[in-house]
Amino acid sequence: MSEFLTTVSSAVAWIKGLAGRHELFFPLKHGSANYSFQPAGPSADIQFEKYRPTIVPPVKKMLPARDTLFTFVKSPSGEPTVTPTLDTAPRILAGVRPCDLKGIHLMDTIFENGVADAYYAARRANTAVIAYACPKPCDDRAFCHAVDSLDHRAGADVILTPLKGDDMLVEALTDKGREMLAGVDFPKCADAAARKVGAVAARPEPFGRALGAKVSALPAVIKKQWKSDLWDKHTERCFSCGSCNLVCPTCYCFDVQDDLNLDTTSGHRTRTWDACMLPEFAAVAGGHNFRPNAAARQRHRVKRKFEYLTERFHEGAFCTGCGRCGRQCTAGIDILDIVKDLASAEVES
Amino acid sequence: MTTTHAHAKVSPDAYLPMMGKVVEVREMTARENYFRLELPRPLGHRPGQFVMVSVLGIGEAPISISNGPTTTNTLELVIRRAGRLTQVLSELKPGDLMGIRGPFGSGFDMSWFDGKEILIVAGGLGLVPLRSLIQPLVANADKYPSITLLSGCRNPAEELYREEVREWSKHPKLRVIRLVDGTENMPWDGEVGLVTAPIPKLDIKPDRTIAVLCGPPVMYKFVIIGLNQKNLPHDRIFVDLERRMKCGVGKCGHCQINDVYCCQDGPVFRFSEIEHLPEALL
Repeated sequence: MSEFLTTVSSAVAWIKGLAGRHELFFPLKHGSANYSFQPAGPSADIQFEKYRPTIVPPVKKMLPARDTLFTFVKSPSGEPTVTPTLDTAPRILAGVRPCDLKGIHLMDTIFENGVADAYYAARRANTAVIAYACPKPCDDRAFCHAVDSLDHRAGADVILTPLKGDDMLVEALTDKGREMLAGVDFPKCADAAARKVGAVAARPEPFGRALGAKVSALPAVIKKQWKSDLWDKHTERCFSCGSCNLVCPTCYCFDVQDDLNLDTTSGHRTRTWDACMLPEFAAVAGGHNFRPNAAARQRHRVKRKFEYLTERFHEGAFCTGCGRCGRQCTAGIDILDIVKDLASAEVES
Repeated sequence: MTTTHAHAKVSPDAYLPMMGKVVEVREMTARENYFRLELPRPLGHRPGQFVMVSVLGIGEAPISISNGPTTTNTLELVIRRAGRLTQVLSELKPGDLMGIRGPFGSGFDMSWFDGKEILIVAGGLGLVPLRSLIQPLVANADKYPSITLLSGCRNPAEELYREEVREWSKHPKLRVIRLVDGTENMPWDGEVGLVTAPIPKLDIKPDRTIAVLCGPPVMYKFVIIGLNQKNLPHDRIFVDLERRMKCGVGKCGHCQINDVYCCQDGPVFRFSEIEHLPEALL
């Protein structure tokens, strides 16, 4: 029995208590209009009411922009000692919304598949996630419900669900979650399932933007659109800057680079975020570029989110509906508009 | 907090290079160098696999393995100077170290070739990975009714494995046709023409021939057109593709061809596996 019924202010007090004892990240104000996951202390502005998706999703705490794979030191004879650098510092990500929780779950899937990634795994194993089930859309760009991530739960250790009035349902899903709640005297909740049904019923309808098609139908729809002129239409304004990739919770492509220290005998190898929208992403050594124009790259990005990875991993769409790519795009290109157009073109044809 | 995640203990080994010692360097052409390395342990590779080669502090790049499977610690590479890393690699001397990760990729399964008439088409640098297949084929030549190698390059000065290819042509089982696009006024003892030119004259049996292709992106389409005229089924045509991998383990995204990953599903594919992928070939 790991379900409790408490109040919003008690839940906030609990998170502040954790923040006093652990490294805890929470979406805090960043500039005048934005939020970002920042280290929060016991006096941080922990609240759930005011929120829009953080500029960068919380999963990037496991996949930092620059991730050192190893350091090396060369002996006078040139023989190097290579030391992997795994980050095992414990941390808590709190206030993670369902779209971002799904993003974390999808990256768990990717980085545990095949040759499991030790760098992701080291951080993930030492990260606890306290999720928050959104009672209303965070802003007018969200389309989490349309891509089935609004009710996502896997990957969370604790899920907070706001209920009527000032009530808050607290559920521990894992041992890690139960551990964080140990010694907290929240009253037990015997009818959690019914209360969750009530919370869903109280949500506004429609919840966020609609897709105009079932997300499960998209792989088949998009497969037929290889030659569609919609790819060109939706990249006429594209600067190929890669911002959409950098802020996406399910973009994980990387480049690898070496750096030599000034002593020229030591240095490190780092993986850095890369972006399939950048012009050189699919170029090979001979100079040939397999995706030479923005339309081909946009098509690749959309197909990865809604077809390729969906079919490979059977975890639904690899777009979580957070709306970040559209929010951050200099030209205002929005992946939902692209997919909606593809789906309606399918109906017309 | 306790750690309860399923993969709390995963090894980073896939990203850590072992050090190969250069024991021989040979200038093969003005742009390509041949390297023989001694590794700390046998690589245990299949023909057609690749390694990630690095100079610590400079960078890393995918390079084809050029020698056939071996139980020794030997690794042979041919590296073209194309950028910063390959420039530094080209300056390495015997005794210097290269970082090596791998082997990666699918490679060839030697049992595919048993009892088959084999056609190998190599364009330019394509001969480098295909040598890792040709060596075991030649070593077990009695298993195969015939082996034909079409090896083409731009001009006589760019021919790779010059002596070895001539040795192969002396083998009773092996037919070697060497071509250059043009002699450019250099002496040349082979044929002049594109690597596709000899295909119409070859005896290709749709039920018994197996073809293997590796070359620049532009080559595949034209060779396949030639093989189509011979009615060779597409699941008996193997292509060895190139992409600029960064990791080798299917994560970095650079080698994705539509929905397949060149570094894991390839770089060797049956043409039937990829012919429906618009991004695979030119």
